[in-house]
Amino acid sequence: MKISLKVNGKKYTREVETNKNLLHFIREDLGLTGTKEGCGAGECGACTIIMNGKTVNSCLILAVEANGCEIETIEGEAKNGKLSKLQKAFHENHAVQCGFCTPGMILSARALLEKNAKPTVEQIKEAIEGNFCRCTGYQQIIEAVQDASGQLKKKEGLKRA
Amino acid sequence: MLDNLNKKSLKYVGKATRRIDAVEKITGQALYAGDLEFAGMLHGKILRSPHARAKIKKIDVSKARCLEGVHAVLTGHDLDYRVGLYLVDKYILARDTVRHFGEAVAAVAAETPAIARKAIELIEVEYEVQTPFLDPKNVFDKKAPLVHPELGSYDYVQAVFTPIPGTNIANHTKLRKGDVEKGFKDSDLIIEREYTNPNVQHVPMETHIAIGKWDIGDRITIHTSAQSPFTVRNLFAHAFKIPHSNIRVFIPYVGGGFGGKAGIHLEPLCCCLSKAAGGRPVKIQATREEEFSLLPCRSGLVYQIKTGVKKNGKIVAQKMTMFWDAGAYADYAVNVTRASGFSASGPYEIENAWVDAYTVYTNKPFGTAYRGFGHVEFSWGMERHMNYIAQKLNIDPLKFRLINALKPGSKTMTGEEVVENTGNVSKCMQAVAESINYGRLTAEEKAREKKTGRKIGKSVVALQKAPAMPPFTGTVMILKLNEDGSVTASHSLTDYGMGTYTSLAQIIAEVLRWPIERIRIPIETDTDRDPYDWQTVASKGLLLSGNAAILAARDLLDKCYDVAAQALRAQKCDLDHDAEAVFVRHHAAHRVTYQQMAVGYAYPNGNAICGPIVGVGRYIAQGLTNLNKENGQGNPALDWTYGAHGLTVEVDEKTGEYKIIKVASAYDVGCVINEASVRGQAIGGMIQGLGTAMCEGYLYNGKGQLLNPSFTDNKIPTSLDIPEEIDCIAIETPQIDGPFGARGVGEHSMIAVCGALGNAIEEAVGANLTHMPIRQEDVWKALQKKGRKASEKVISAVVTEEKTRRGRKPGKKAIEAPVVKAKRGRKPGTKKAEKPAEIKVEKPKRG
Amino acid sequence: MLQEFSYLAPTTLKDLYALLKKNAGTAVILAGGTDLLVEMHNNWISPKLLVDIKKIPQLNDMSFDRKNGLSIGATTVCIDLINNSDVKKYYPLLADAAGRIGSHQLRNRATIGGNLCTASPCADMGCSLLALGAEVELASADGIRVIPLKDYFTGPKKTQIKKHEVLQKIIVPFESANAKFGMRKLKRIKGHDIALISVAMARTEKFLRVGVGSCAPTPVVTAPLPANAKPEKVKEAVMKVVSPIDDVRASRDYRLFMTGEFVDSIYAEIFNGGSK
Repeated sequence: MKISLKVNGKKYTREVETNKNLLHFIREDLGLTGTKEGCGAGECGACTIIMNGKTVNSCLILAVEANGCEIETIEGEAKNGKLSKLQKAFHENHAVQCGFCTPGMILSARALLEKNAKPTVEQIKEAIEGNFCRCTGYQQIIEAVQDASGQLKKKEGLKRA
Repeated sequence: MLDNLNKKSLKYVGKATRRIDAVEKITGQALYAGDLEFAGMLHGKILRSPHARAKIKKIDVSKARCLEGVHAVLTGHDLDYRVGLYLVDKYILARDTVRHFGEAVAAVAAETPAIARKAIELIEVEYEVQTPFLDPKNVFDKKAPLVHPELGSYDYVQAVFTPIPGTNIANHTKLRKGDVEKGFKDSDLIIEREYTNPNVQHVPMETHIAIGKWDIGDRITIHTSAQSPFTVRNLFAHAFKIPHSNIRVFIPYVGGGFGGKAGIHLEPLCCCLSKAAGGRPVKIQATREEEFSLLPCRSGLVYQIKTGVKKNGKIVAQKMTMFWDAGAYADYAVNVTRASGFSASGPYEIENAWVDAYTVYTNKPFGTAYRGFGHVEFSWGMERHMNYIAQKLNIDPLKFRLINALKPGSKTMTGEEVVENTGNVSKCMQAVAESINYGRLTAEEKAREKKTGRKIGKSVVALQKAPAMPPFTGTVMILKLNEDGSVTASHSLTDYGMGTYTSLAQIIAEVLRWPIERIRIPIETDTDRDPYDWQTVASKGLLLSGNAAILAARDLLDKCYDVAAQALRAQKCDLDHDAEAVFVRHHAAHRVTYQQMAVGYAYPNGNAICGPIVGVGRYIAQGLTNLNKENGQGNPALDWTYGAHGLTVEVDEKTGEYKIIKVASAYDVGCVINEASVRGQAIGGMIQGLGTAMCEGYLYNGKGQLLNPSFTDNKIPTSLDIPEEIDCIAIETPQIDGPFGARGVGEHSMIAVCGALGNAIEEAVGANLTHMPIRQEDVWKALQKKGRKASEKVISAVVTEEKTRRGRKPGKKAIEAPVVKAKRGRKPGTKKAEKPAEIKVEKPKRG
Repeated sequence: MLQEFSYLAPTTLKDLYALLKKNAGTAVILAGGTDLLVEMHNNWISPKLLVDIKKIPQLNDMSFDRKNGLSIGATTVCIDLINNSDVKKYYPLLADAAGRIGSHQLRNRATIGGNLCTASPCADMGCSLLALGAEVELASADGIRVIPLKDYFTGPKKTQIKKHEVLQKIIVPFESANAKFGMRKLKRIKGHDIALISVAMARTEKFLRVGVGSCAPTPVVTAPLPANAKPEKVKEAVMKVVSPIDDVRASRDYRLFMTGEFVDSIYAEIFNGGSK
């Protein structure tokens, strides 16, 4: 089946099998491998993308269902070779360890900040609960989102005794 | 390698440095194994056993073979190779016998994953289902089915392990220190209880993925999501009897490992499929479901602890029996048994200690290394037990811990003396106690109790761990000077998330006194290009590779000085260097830049000297020994990292629902190299530990079939599950042989936090828990039993008393002898001939 | 890759009915896909034909009036239900229930109709819609029938939908509008999880109803009780309709206990604290 869609502002038209999910289409057919597969069952959020303005698990959508849609993936986050404010905050606040959940995490955080420029810690936690992270324990990610929204008053540090 | 440093003069060590691998990860550019594609690449899929134990009577692969697009189909009979880390017990595909639910029975390589999947469905297998062996505690039952009847014929590392053929014991680790029986006789009170925890899955966000290519002429190339390239190569070479130099293992970015990617897993099968497909590369990407049963998990544990204590709170003797539920293959479990065996008491001094630790084969998915390497599991029991004893002695549990904590002059269980620089566990405990306001409720907490109607409880626990590694563990770091005066490192420690590479860059920059931007440490490792490293496990990376990095940097400078000495016609002792050049100390304008010497120094007329510069640093653990197999004595520890957690929880007394308000963690890391990385490890591991404590764990039916092999029913913590407040504290008692005094802290944060949760819940509402995970329902169940607890104590005490009188069943009359009470009334000095009181509470049964 | 199947996305109801009639038994309806694609991923089902109904405008419609109450098109996604002003104003229980489904990513995709068609005993919308006395409209080329939701579920993952029918809309009667309400969901973690049990209570001036999920082969509901029913009577009525089992998620005993707890606490909330 032929589909046309926009990914990170660029238009693509491709012939695609009906049984291919959007995640595999983005990774294999478009070569955008920043979107990751963690479970294939909509539980872990590693494959989170933004589709028509909303975060979704791309593993639970058929590529053919995305016909005519506008999609944003992690590859669209940095513009003109420059990291976004959110990416910079992730870098600055050590919000990355293995990096496998990071693309999905950043997109969920971005969807939050687009709706709510000054989220509370509780709202940040709630916004990223669909994105599993096994490395960081989430705390430094939460701080990065606070930082990106100009709310991290003082950097949480390690106390040294 | 701790020189007399003025810490204030350090420029990079201990300072905030951003991760060197973050940009590619936050932009989606980092390539993981699953992102790699090769020309002609095929896709492998695996047929798994639905049974825990069965004979394979027949496998028919003919339909799968005929399917268009299929290039290879393999069954156990095609592969007469066994693989194993310490005990070589595992066929690549099950041959004749299936030993666990989810075991690989057949495999296919095809042009697309869809074809491979279809081919798998066409394979017909006839099983004869057999009764599985599931309970490790039944290991001494002579009638129990044997998981490995051929155990006696397997190769194993004889200097370290003791399998017992004719049983399900893959290894028996013994430790005997002092005289434990005498110790019990000298005790005022003997307290015994059993603690349990199930198999747990690591859950790296990236599943296991490998791409193997087996060329004609036996050249092997493996791209894999693994922790240790040289271990993959070494085990592969042994299994297939192929020269090491024929095998190339390449590791790209890795999406988390936690021990689950430490050994060798999918790589042999990928390569065998490739060979069968004429050398086309074959990729296998495990599904999340396969991650739970095909690939290994963490062993379960039944831990029985019997402790003799004095009224003053001093532990005199402790007997520890561990039944490790290793599953169907030994893998790392035998070494987990060994490492946890010698550490089984936690950071407490036990004068008279006795450990029997058994690695028990069962028909379950097999256990491997998992962050903490056994310490998370046994510390659950040990730390619950410490509180239990304190309760019986009527001593504050923290005070009881401080009385028994290892301190300078103490001897560890293996007989190693603790010195000032070993680290300070008491300081860790005190720091977290202060952080959570241990021992009282603040005004705010009292108000909270009033508002929520829930009870708040607090606890402090302590932990320790040394790297579990061979005594001869070594590593190499090579620094290659580039034309522009930057360096590129070559080594084989992997960084699958921890941040060690950033710390190494800081160390190198510090020693060279160069800007850190000029230090490049590529993330990928490659056994053909990079020098040897044993493995990236055990929290040993920072210490060993850090030292190698210091040596390499010094060597690089030394070579630069050699060149400069010639070029400047100066003695080396008159030279100094800055970020740009080596110069004559008293004529600073006489200098040779690194750029000038990087690829060989050339004089104006074209004459050249010295050639391109590399610095090499080799480091190997110093002074370690194998443990004596009979008594477990020896020197196994590269370093001991101590730590403590303080935890505050609120619990609903009626429903069992609880919420963790605060966790404070302190670790004696020796020296903080990177604050954010230490904090990242501290919090990440603590939350992973809380996952184990709160909700994770395998559930089986009576046939040994796994009931929760997915995220639907095996939950892991989300952002909503973390404590409201988190505090991280670093204590810095320098490690004399650590880089800038540092020691590892990768695993430690996960250890003992489970016990902290159990103890705090008990403190809050009196729920007596001996099994983890602690689900809300478990708290509720324990609270249902609370009312009956008092009578249970006395009866149980008598049961044990009866047992010591040769197994006579307790009669009604026996209840009249409340041993605990009688003992307490006695005056000191008259107790010598007395048998001490024993308290034993049966573990509550659990579904 | 999933198993192979054909995919059709009709744009009118008429086409949909015809398709379903022609392919009765082989066609499976695809709405949000958050359950269906998981089942296909796990190889539990392998449909030959997927019929995507999201391109049919009428199925994505929501409307409210004081005569017919609220009508929710089957493909309405959770987040749209949550943000709908009529829902917020008149049926906040539904927004509350939909907000408890999965994670953001799932709520942005999962549909209300799909939740009812999967018909899992733990379907999050089940107990709340039952408590509000909802009905479902099932349609096919043969016509339209409306049945009460309480009769719609027939067993775990089983419903009254015939092979050539489609669940077209959900109707929540006006008499349930402005109901005082409370809902609880028992989970294993604080993050997204399947309900171990869920309880929803709705009280209007005329009646009180309690819907319960994960406590019987289907979501269940009490008969309408008097609006001022005593707490013991409410609990008694709930206990009459539940029959939980032991499974890996929770024991029967704990489910029963927590159902009782939830009923008590919601009752107290509704009667003492009024609507949330």
